[in-house]
Amino acid sequence: MLALKSWDTHLRASEKKTLVSFLLLYAFLTSLILVFVAIFYYASQRELLFQEKREILSTLTNEHIAHLKNLHNTFDKNQTYPRDTRYESAIFDSSLKEIFSTLHSNSVNLYEDIYFEKGHIYFIKELEFYYLGARYCALEIPAPQGWEHAVYQKLFLYGGIIFLVLVVIGYFLLLLLLEPMRQAISLLDRFIKDTTHELNTPVHTILSNIEMIELATLDASLCKKLNRIAIASKTISNLYDDLTYLVLSHHAPSHNEVVVLKALIEERMEYFHLLMESKKISQSLFLEEHVTLVIDRKKMTKIIDNLLSNAIKYNTLKGNITVTLTSFSLSIEDTGVGIEESKLPHVFERYSRFDTTVGGFGIGLNIVSLIAKEYGLHVSLSSELKKGTKVSLSW
Amino acid sequence: MVKKCFLIFTLALSLEAKSLYEHHCVSCHDGMTITLEKFFFRYLLKYSSEAEVQKALFAYMKNPKAETSILEPWLINRIGIKKPTTLNDKELDAALKDYWEQHKVFGKLK
Repeated sequence: MLALKSWDTHLRASEKKTLVSFLLLYAFLTSLILVFVAIFYYASQRELLFQEKREILSTLTNEHIAHLKNLHNTFDKNQTYPRDTRYESAIFDSSLKEIFSTLHSNSVNLYEDIYFEKGHIYFIKELEFYYLGARYCALEIPAPQGWEHAVYQKLFLYGGIIFLVLVVIGYFLLLLLLEPMRQAISLLDRFIKDTTHELNTPVHTILSNIEMIELATLDASLCKKLNRIAIASKTISNLYDDLTYLVLSHHAPSHNEVVVLKALIEERMEYFHLLMESKKISQSLFLEEHVTLVIDRKKMTKIIDNLLSNAIKYNTLKGNITVTLTSFSLSIEDTGVGIEESKLPHVFERYSRFDTTVGGFGIGLNIVSLIAKEYGLHVSLSSELKKGTKVSLSW
Repeated sequence: MVKKCFLIFTLALSLEAKSLYEHHCVSCHDGMTITLEKFFFRYLLKYSSEAEVQKALFAYMKNPKAETSILEPWLINRIGIKKPTTLNDKELDAALKDYWEQHKVFGKLK
């Protein structure tokens, strides 16, 4: 029994989607917390500033009201609005209509007691006696130089630190979330590895022994039975190859060479000849000459085998397989059961199966996509229910 | 044509109001210790806005009482309470508007 220590764990697209959703939700919540903290901090800093300025503003307002009182009583002689270099001011009547203003701002919020706007602090006071008809007196002083800049600087500094801490916490949370998923997938991988290892010897023994038998010396009935055994053994052998590739070979270094595709396709068609014959499947080959690819021969064989194997497996009795090779593409098309449109986005995921009436682990197309990705080949699949499936490779 | 009639009517009303204010208010207050301007600033001190000042003045003119007067009791004792106005509501409104326009603070401050 062999259990490899270097096994890896692949996450399916649906699991990745779950993780992305989790990360987005986490980022959203983190941002929300940070925004609330920032608002609270800004408000507290502003309140501190107001506390510091309130007393002096109140004193200045009282001084200004005294000037207004004086002007009210001598309005027939003097109509000059009182001004002071320390502040700007404005007066409003009880209908909030501006009587006179030296403020920088055109609109004043008379419902606030004290507030900050565009670098100025505004202080509003309601008068006990309406001198000159003024019910509200607004005073404006400049806010301390760079106050807002200093607050934002601190906000970004502390916000950044908090965000980093939350990211680290999020990372550990993610690891915890991933653990059961990884365990489930690794259990399946480990099972496959152990199983395939045990399959290897008996399958090859059967195949090599069948090949050694001279079929010509046997009667037709026995020959037919041996062919069936050979087909079954080749099916198991293919499955073994796929599983071995998935858990071992794709880590191994590639031995790239110039592969003549027409010859390789014809060789693999010959390999699957018995299997096709058992389902009375006909073949249409349109293979261009001299089409080559620089690729690991074993990996290209794996691609063709998987596509042909699927085309045979999911084909109908007396169906057809069309293989087309051009100088820039290879396509294998069957006249089989087809795949539902809703399931098409998941066809290249590992352990995805769409027809449980036939055998398999759902790894064939995953292997094709892994090899294609390694060599920068573009894989596309189109399918129609009860009409067939076409897989194309282009380069 | 309608526009012209409306303009003439408005102008006539305004001229009549001014004459009403001058005839019914200025003529009586002329020569009094407390000028109409002083009265205005007393109302302004208490009522602030144009609407509030005119509302208070209107109510007082229609029904003058010591309790609703803007003057202090000692001044009321000296000057007395005026008689209710003989102007109708529309005339009184126009006269008060003219009073406001002549003494308002808006636009006079420098």
